[in-house]
Amino acid sequence: MSSTKERVGCVVLPGDVLTCGSELPEGKRDKLICGPGLRRDVDDVVVCKSGILRHKEPNLYWVDSQQTRYVPAKGEGVIGIVTAKSGDVFKVDIGGSELATLSYLAFEGATKRNRPNVQVGDLVYSQLIIANKDMEPELVCIDSCGRANGMGVFGAGGLLFKVSLGLVRKLLLPQSEVIQDLDSMFPFEMVVGMNGRIWVKSRSTQQTLIVANLLESCEHMTTAQRRDVLRRLSQNCL
Amino acid sequence: MVCLPLDAGAHKFRHMADRRLREFGCEQNLLSRPDGSASFVQGDTTVVVGIYGPAEVKVSKESYDRATLEVILKPKVGLPGVAERSREQFIRETCEAALLTALHPRTSIVLILQVIHDDGSLLSCCLNSACMAAMDAGLNMRCLFCGVTCAIDLDGNIILDPTAKQEKESRAVLTFAIDSVERQVMMSSTKGAFTTAEFHQSIAICQKAAESIFQFYRDSVGRRYSKS
Amino acid sequence: MKETPLSNCERLFLLQAIAEKKRVDGRQTFDYRNIKITFGTDYGCCIVELGKTKVLAQVSCELVAPKSNRPTEGVLFFNLELSPMASPSFEPGRHSELLVKLNRLLERCFRNSKCIDTESLCVVSGEKVWQIRVDLHLLNHDGNIMDAASIAAITALCHFRRPDVSVIGEEVTVYSVDERDPVPLCIHHMPICVSFSFFQQGTFLLVDPNEREEKVMDGLLVIAMNKHREICTIQSSGGIMLLKEQVLRCSQIAGVKVTEITELIQKALENDKKIRKEGGKFGFAESLPNQRITAFKIEGAPVNTSEVEETVEEITHNTVPPTEIVPSPILWASGTAQIGEGVLNTWEVEEPHESEEADDKSMEEEEEVSTTPRHERKETVILSDSEEEEVIILNPDKTEKKFQKQASNLHEDTASGSRKKKKKKPSQLVK
Repeated sequence: MSSTKERVGCVVLPGDVLTCGSELPEGKRDKLICGPGLRRDVDDVVVCKSGILRHKEPNLYWVDSQQTRYVPAKGEGVIGIVTAKSGDVFKVDIGGSELATLSYLAFEGATKRNRPNVQVGDLVYSQLIIANKDMEPELVCIDSCGRANGMGVFGAGGLLFKVSLGLVRKLLLPQSEVIQDLDSMFPFEMVVGMNGRIWVKSRSTQQTLIVANLLESCEHMTTAQRRDVLRRLSQNCL
Repeated sequence: MVCLPLDAGAHKFRHMADRRLREFGCEQNLLSRPDGSASFVQGDTTVVVGIYGPAEVKVSKESYDRATLEVILKPKVGLPGVAERSREQFIRETCEAALLTALHPRTSIVLILQVIHDDGSLLSCCLNSACMAAMDAGLNMRCLFCGVTCAIDLDGNIILDPTAKQEKESRAVLTFAIDSVERQVMMSSTKGAFTTAEFHQSIAICQKAAESIFQFYRDSVGRRYSKS
Repeated sequence: MKETPLSNCERLFLLQAIAEKKRVDGRQTFDYRNIKITFGTDYGCCIVELGKTKVLAQVSCELVAPKSNRPTEGVLFFNLELSPMASPSFEPGRHSELLVKLNRLLERCFRNSKCIDTESLCVVSGEKVWQIRVDLHLLNHDGNIMDAASIAAITALCHFRRPDVSVIGEEVTVYSVDERDPVPLCIHHMPICVSFSFFQQGTFLLVDPNEREEKVMDGLLVIAMNKHREICTIQSSGGIMLLKEQVLRCSQIAGVKVTEITELIQKALENDKKIRKEGGKFGFAESLPNQRITAFKIEGAPVNTSEVEETVEEITHNTVPPTEIVPSPILWASGTAQIGEGVLNTWEVEEPHESEEADDKSMEEEEEVSTTPRHERKETVILSDSEEEEVIILNPDKTEKKFQKQASNLHEDTASGSRKKKKKKPSQLVK
């Protein structure tokens, strides 16, 4: 385990072996939870994506990699675009390899007679309840208690754009610096989907465009560069 | 390149004073539409690769337990011919062995390679750029792979990473795909006549050369993630 | 593959922003995106980047017979390919409407405008002329393929050098690059396409639409012009009605844009010429943007192969020599020999008396089965048209014994196989 801890924060490549389970004696073996980018190969933990190895106490390891393509995973909140209505379900494009299904009953207050008002081309923020490699993904717009909890159809007046998955994860951190910096500029509404799609809306078209462009470009900027850009922008706008 | 036949009696193999790989460079994520893209430059040979996947697949081509891998190699001038098809097969077989396709059943992974300039060692340049593109797309891989080409000239010297001129003047050209975990040969493609001994020597030399290429992969990925 | 569909909110927002004269990437209505031109090591090869749209162009030439109705003119051939790399919706091998439209527009823009002097491409009238072939590959689609393609094509044509030719009487000599310097093409003028996208029923226009704007536009107007303000081609598509003043205004804007772009191309060509003359490094390898974090370059790496001997010994030691399945050609009769066992027939033609369960049979059963046909062979020589049947040997009496002995060897050697395989093997012999 010590060798793995040493490599936290370093770049790892596919094929790198992190631990050799056979080397450690029986008593000393700890439990190690493999996150995305790591897999178990008999007794070893092998890296399968290139990126930086991260660690969270007590024993969770994962690889932070930059990626654009979304692979559906259960429990994630995603922004989908409704592409078709067929019978009782909506077919929603979430950016994965298959279209996901969303039953019309999976909305708050929806019954067989009271259908939700969803048109083809609408944006829907929903959660994946079934998402594995063998089945078609399924979405719902209600949580386990039957409440919408922020999910459902949305989107009038805002702009949708696509970013990499790494940036989305950075934005969804509890104390995201990017959000805090942007907050100080001007108020705006934002919906972040784990499939790399972001929707923003601000008071005017100009402001919405500024926020959108900033978010797209702050992927490759360091904190200092971002603050610098924001400062210049706020001086120009005010 | 100078040939130094040391003690011809004792040594079966001819030595080269030093073998060099040409200068190489790569750029990742240079195209905005594909999920992963990379361009690899070896001397003057340049190849650009775009990769899409795991994406939707036609029902006729889908596979219930793995991702369907498709490779398209486009030459610069003219329509693709038999040579391109055979290279596509080599690349496809190497990628199938390296990518974890069982994690994405009923999807397709499409690799499109465009030859920008061919100055020798084309197949190995294609393999290298395919590996970098797969890394850029974040596809799950079992191991990395790299391509190395060597040519055996009329005197029996083994030249590493030959240019087009050197390839034309040599009697055999061999390309190997080597994996990163155990440095084993994943794929070999040869053209011309050579002895078994020369074959083994080429493999050993290419395995050595693969070390530098894997180190290059590590350095370039390290540079890419240096800001986060 | 399907592309991500455009959602209603995106469409509405884009149209609203355009109504307020704002573009998503912050450009003005008549602004072009950044154009970047890089040249390759070969003459006639260049990559043009218009924002994120990327096109590769390569010019090549060949001596061919001219067209019968134009014996003194060379041939120009343009081919634009939408690589599947450029967009997930471009499928290989399928000719979409877009492809046909773009190719046709390219031909009209370059061939019909006579920008290249085809008479100068004639070598021997009626017999040999130069065919200039321009191959364009779209590498990334972010809107406005036409403009990028036309810039790439004309830049590549200006950059290209054809081999020098001399005709002395009946003899035609083509000089290689080492013998005589290659000669540039004779180009009269440089037509460049400028695209205008229309919105709000033709009342509002944008220059150089990017991919999203192309999705929501009402119609497209393409004007191909050169810097002398001559219109080479004009095409309007999408079914919008344009006012005369609109079209005139567009042509004026196009004139300004074309002058700017032509200057850019000239500068790039000059730079490249200077670098080549000074002997500096040129080509795509040089243009790799080293400052970018996603790019990395190293100089040639020496490979230390002095310890290679031990690895070679190890490999040689570990390799297992292939089993000698095929000893040497077996001579049946003079003129008839067999090498190997033939190729497995993969046509999977079902023989009526054979079934798939034959695959599971063990070796002993197969040998048992094969003894009966051997018996039959002693009595009769079966002649048949089908390729799957028994072998027809020219001198059956002399060599039959040999064949039976050999057949047993063949049975032992093959590791596995169904009855089907056994029958079809020997049929490869006599043809």
